[in-house]
Amino acid sequence: MTEDNFFDVIVVGAGCAGPAAAKKTAELGLKTLLIEKSPEPGTKTISGTCINLAGMHNEDLYYILKGPIEREIHSMRTYHINDARTTVFNEIPTKGVLLLSIRRDIFDAWHTEQAKLAGAEVKLSTTVTDIIEENDYVCGVITDSGEEFRCKVLIDAAGVNSIVGRNAGLIPKRSGDNMILYVTVAVELGEEVINDRFSDEQGGYCIEYYLAPGIQYKTWPWIFPKKDTVTLGTGGYMTKDLFNDKITNVNQYMQNFLNLPIVKRKLEGGKIVSWGLHLEYDEKISQKVKNGLILTGEAGGFVIPFLGEGMSPAFATGIFAAKTAAEAIQKNNFSKESMSSMYEDMIEEDLFLQGFMHVGKINKESILKKSEEEISNMMQSVVLGGGFITNAVHTKWLEGAENGDIEKVQEALDFLEFIQPYRQIGSEFEEIYRKLRAEGGS
Amino acid sequence: MEFEMKIDYYSGDPGEFIKVIEEKCTGCGQCAKFCTRDVWEADGKIYRPINLKDCVECGACWNICTADAIIFGDPKGGTGVRFTHG
Ligand SMILES: Cc1cc2nc3c(=O)[nH]c(=O)nc-3n(C[C@H](O)[C@H](O)[C@H](O)COP(=O)(O)OP(=O)(O)OC[C@H]3O[C@@H](n4cnc5c(N)ncnc54)[C@H](O)[C@@H]3O)c2cc1C
Repeated sequence: MTEDNFFDVIVVGAGCAGPAAAKKTAELGLKTLLIEKSPEPGTKTISGTCINLAGMHNEDLYYILKGPIEREIHSMRTYHINDARTTVFNEIPTKGVLLLSIRRDIFDAWHTEQAKLAGAEVKLSTTVTDIIEENDYVCGVITDSGEEFRCKVLIDAAGVNSIVGRNAGLIPKRSGDNMILYVTVAVELGEEVINDRFSDEQGGYCIEYYLAPGIQYKTWPWIFPKKDTVTLGTGGYMTKDLFNDKITNVNQYMQNFLNLPIVKRKLEGGKIVSWGLHLEYDEKISQKVKNGLILTGEAGGFVIPFLGEGMSPAFATGIFAAKTAAEAIQKNNFSKESMSSMYEDMIEEDLFLQGFMHVGKINKESILKKSEEEISNMMQSVVLGGGFITNAVHTKWLEGAENGDIEKVQEALDFLEFIQPYRQIGSEFEEIYRKLRAEGGS
Repeated sequence: MEFEMKIDYYSGDPGEFIKVIEEKCTGCGQCAKFCTRDVWEADGKIYRPINLKDCVECGACWNICTADAIIFGDPKGGTGVRFTHG
């Protein structure tokens, strides 16, 4: 083994978490290698790809807001369709930009380039096949060409089925109520048509959610506008009820979604230009750190339960892992105990991660318990976004009230108080965002 | 709009990145049921990933297999599925 094959930090996977981590460790002066199996980053991933700006309130993440975006999203429209009626909610939750829609094949390539510019070495078209462990410490990886690369700290950013986390014994098999099988299609409509069909009353752009019989299983089918295509996604939790007599394949949920009269009109004149399939795991992994190894992003289970937001948690945990690695290397202590406490502290201090994880979890629990009909009825009166926060508080509150459990009621109150700062961030962050775009957005 | 699985692949041999462990397979067929791409086919009493060239590397088969009968790796570097508009 040559000197060239020794690194301070190796990061596996150039999705969301990987380039963020590699850029940061390179900036912190560490010799960094970023390995990606695809020749072009972003072409192994399927996502809805709306970055929630609420998850980007961390100065370490501001550079991401200068990346190549497709559209600025200002509002949400939700269609609740049942046999009796269709209810449409228009929600403009803040004055400014709510989400940024991106295309991963474009965005991840840009992000990987940022890591490279910061000084990280990048190896594309390189698949990690196994980890190297010595004396109970993870200390490197083996690639498909049989080459070995060694490091002080390994950062796993290889996504939901990461071979790194699996071979380290941290990522188990998962299905049932915490694994979603998602199918997507991208429909080309042209920029002008999308401007017209996906704008809102205030002249911004709008993402849409749909709830109707036969188009999903316990998820929220959506249409997200990009520049000249829109992406549709649907699917469901991988339980035995995902399939039934009528639905034997997630593609059939998609076909039914495409067949909704409202959706047909929205997509009139368009054509499907690409199809995709991906799993999404929405529960935390119990152990995210091992001697010499840190799991980030979806490999670590950092997706907001049920709401399915995983990009900003991946960016954030990539940064946290990088900082943890840098500190561990400085102290020359890569043990699980030492790295785990640094990493967990940073995660616990992140308001977005904590707040949204909580909101997502309670909504998920409450929704998985209900039948499709009950959900449809409930959602006719609960508005998405702010409504999810309300539902989280409300569900806990009711649980306490019904069982005479004052602690639950107190928990609801505590959470309400806890979430307030997030609700107030709005306008000042809009200014920061505007400034960053003016400085050099593409 | 007629649904279509429009999909692209990188050229090159991805290798046998999914395998069945014959002695462990119980023939329950969950792998085939949860596979959206018809990769898995019954072969006597067990299932095999016959159409690996159609795989999109989602990992549903590995996750759903309670018999631990599936080895699920990643395709060789630079090969396999190529999603656009992800
Ligand atoms: C249909 C769908 C819709 C979604 N919508 C949204 C949304 O709107 N907003 C949001 O915030 N989140 C969304 N998510 C979640 C989000 O996409 C993920 O949480 C996020 O991509 C996770 O980032 P990551 O960096 O951890 O992993 P990934 O983005 O999956 O990146 C992992 C990278 O590792 C590489 N890799 C894997 N194995 C190896 C190996 N062995 N060797 C080398 N490289 C390897 C992969 O090729 C890939 O580039 C959605 C997910 C799905 C499935």
